[in-house]
Amino acid sequence: MSLSTHNLSVGYHDTAIVKQVDLTIPEGKIIALLGPNGCGKSTLLKAMARILSPMDGQVHWQGQNLHGIASKKLAQQLALLPQTQPIPEGIKVKDLVAYGRSPYTGFWGRISKEDHDIITQVMQETGITELAEQLVSELSGGQRQRVWLAMTLAQDTPYLLLDEPTTYMDLSHQVELMHLLRKLNLQGKTIITVLHDINQAARYCDHLIVMKKGKIVTQGSPDSVLTQRLLKEVFSLSAQIHQDPIAKTPMCVVE
Amino acid sequence: MISLRFSFFAQCLLLLLLLFACSWISLFSWSVITVTPADALHALYNMNQDSIAQHIVHDLRLPRVLVGIMVGANLAAAGVIMQGLTQNPLASPSVLGINAGAALGMASVSTIAPWFGLLGSSIAAIIGGGIAWAFVMLLGSAWRGGNEHGRLVLAGVAISALCAALTKAVIIIAEDQAAGVLTWLAGSLTDARWQTFDSLWPVCLIGLLGAMLIAPTLNLLQLGDDNARNLGVSLMWVKLGGSFLVLLLVGSAISSVGAIGFVGLLVPHMARMLAGQDHRKFLPIAMILGACLVVLSDTVSRGIIYPAETPAGAILALIGAPFFIYLVRKRTL
Repeated sequence: MSLSTHNLSVGYHDTAIVKQVDLTIPEGKIIALLGPNGCGKSTLLKAMARILSPMDGQVHWQGQNLHGIASKKLAQQLALLPQTQPIPEGIKVKDLVAYGRSPYTGFWGRISKEDHDIITQVMQETGITELAEQLVSELSGGQRQRVWLAMTLAQDTPYLLLDEPTTYMDLSHQVELMHLLRKLNLQGKTIITVLHDINQAARYCDHLIVMKKGKIVTQGSPDSVLTQRLLKEVFSLSAQIHQDPIAKTPMCVVE
Repeated sequence: MISLRFSFFAQCLLLLLLLFACSWISLFSWSVITVTPADALHALYNMNQDSIAQHIVHDLRLPRVLVGIMVGANLAAAGVIMQGLTQNPLASPSVLGINAGAALGMASVSTIAPWFGLLGSSIAAIIGGGIAWAFVMLLGSAWRGGNEHGRLVLAGVAISALCAALTKAVIIIAEDQAAGVLTWLAGSLTDARWQTFDSLWPVCLIGLLGAMLIAPTLNLLQLGDDNARNLGVSLMWVKLGGSFLVLLLVGSAISSVGAIGFVGLLVPHMARMLAGQDHRKFLPIAMILGACLVVLSDTVSRGIIYPAETPAGAILALIGAPFFIYLVRKRTL
């Protein structure tokens, strides 16, 4: 009940990309948003993080309209990792991560002992401790992605909205990230993430939401959602569904 | 962390010393009646009522230097805020049309309705600057974000040109006031007196304090609008509040000494080079640097064709214009 959309339409410049979506995010789960390019996954995520204002309909947080909640208070509840991030000039890694604490910091951006502990912890979790003194602009794409992720985690919110968090990451870092998401989920966080790798989604997420052309096609557990027909219908792919030999989750193999 | 803080305060201290030195030199240099460096100091704390030189320092030079300091700090702070709000390295009061708009407002009031006096012209400068700024923002679609840096600057240039043309028309209509308005348009501290100081300092204080308060938020804006909003920044309020501060800072400076340009463009970049990207650090540095720059240009402006005075704004344009070209070339807009 905490995060839900009601007849939500959003888009850019008068063109609706997400169309009349009613969605309730199941609390305490890892949820994957799947769908072909341009289907409105990122737009829906941005609307849920109040980065985009609805053209029609509403997003509710604990029964309250998102746009009626004070910005700072909401920033302590929801954190978004956008898909494309700017490359800020002249900012050190540790300072960027520290900006994640802004919704909590005291007068004039003062960092408390508790803030400091959280910053240190998320830098460890994302494996960027040794990059602390480097400039963000000098890092590789994958490293920078982990720094932005650390900033988002430093926000320490019960809800995490991640837009393709594995972008630029090599395979081992992708796997590490998925394990980290599992760990955060066990600590009670609800995680909503856009993913492109269907198998990764099926393996690590509890709930899949599949979108096409701005609408939700289907949602549910990976077992119930991933079918041959769905892959054909949504992705125009001829694929077979097998069982992952290790995790026993569904796995699609393209024909 | 300790060494970092030390270096910041050391920088501030050194720059304050530099500012003091510039001010002191400005108090005694290039005077028709000989003023010694010692006179300049005596006039500050132990004035000899019989010394003409000390009277010159106290009645003419001192308010001039103090006004220069405030104007410099105001324009530099305004430049920092504008660059922060628009995320555009070229943003500054002169490039984005605020100077020209304020000049138009001021010229209109002082020629058409001179009975309004100093307060009236300050308000006219703020309103004129505000209207110009709003037009530039709308034309340059700056509120939408994204990489439309070039468009914003073009809008600024267009609005500046329009305002300049209208200002000239106003001057032609009211010919008898023209000479005074023209000096003022170039920006000059010649007419800065204690009266100017008295009307400037309260607004200056409020504006600079406001700028310091907004500094942590400007830090978040450098991460882009999406991240800033995500971190709990209410963009609309910050942009409105920031614009209001800019108008307060620029309007009060311009109505005191005229349309001095380029301080707001130049100084924020210099301050960033010295203090890094944290606005809480480079904003105060920029204020002191801006003050130094204006006092220095004012001093030089008296020496160039001594004993006549060149407007300080002209000196600043001489340094500022090449720097502007350098910035344009350095960044692909």
